[in-house]
Amino acid sequence: MRVWPDELVLDAGPITAVELALFAAASGDHNPLHLDESVARAAGFERPIVHGMLTMAHVSRLVAGRFGAARVRTLETRFTGVLLRGDGLRVEGTLVEVERDGCACYRLRAAATSDGHEIAVGLARIAPTPAA
Amino acid sequence: MIDRAHVGFTTAPSTVTVDAFRVRLFCRATGETDAAYVDEAAARAVGHPRCPVPTTYLKVLENEHFNAASVLQHLGVPLRGVLHGEQSFDVRTPVRVGDEVEIERRIVDIADKKNGALTVITLDTRFRLRGADAATSRQTIVVRNTLAAT
Repeated sequence: MRVWPDELVLDAGPITAVELALFAAASGDHNPLHLDESVARAAGFERPIVHGMLTMAHVSRLVAGRFGAARVRTLETRFTGVLLRGDGLRVEGTLVEVERDGCACYRLRAAATSDGHEIAVGLARIAPTPAA
Repeated sequence: MIDRAHVGFTTAPSTVTVDAFRVRLFCRATGETDAAYVDEAAARAVGHPRCPVPTTYLKVLENEHFNAASVLQHLGVPLRGVLHGEQSFDVRTPVRVGDEVEIERRIVDIADKKNGALTVITLDTRFRLRGADAATSRQTIVVRNTLAAT
């Protein structure tokens, strides 16, 4: 009988210009919105914004870091807010249910460290054992 | 206005090899410290034949195949003013370092929201390993039409 934790939490950041540049290189997302001050301002943001996929990578670490690699069956996020460069993230997971096949469902939420505004919400399904 | 005729557009499948150095760089960039993704001995110690990739690394592979900028270029939409709306991954078989992943992307929907202020483009991706479905992803791209037009 496996016991699933009710709550998970992970803090990340503050996310710096260097980290955004590293992520752009690693991910292949070179959109200047994440790197260039003037492009960010033209798009209506005070500073360059953090890649949604970098936020999602931290959301993924919340569950994969706890349960291990290759147990995440489903990971879904909806990006509901914008995280500006220099801000950090708090990612939280709440156990919703354990399904008949033994997978656990966690509701996920990422919020800005600065003022708590919501950045993303989502869901993860975690397998009881790593997939073959 | 994006032509709805693009719904159903499917990329020609291509094969992307999962590169160990790129996975290591991705882990570095995302604060990932689990050695199982970068050290084969550590991966084997927790039951993996080779290093698996982090779930969101699938996005890196699909970018390598045909990224959002290419999608927008295909649609004639400027990158300016575009945001990432939703992203999901469903994984059946883990993708590992050294794998050759066959990837195909398809535009499944283009829809206006908020009286045309926004257009939402939905894309599905199929990841296949050794001829079998391994994973899928879905992305929505939000085009802010007022910004795109300026």
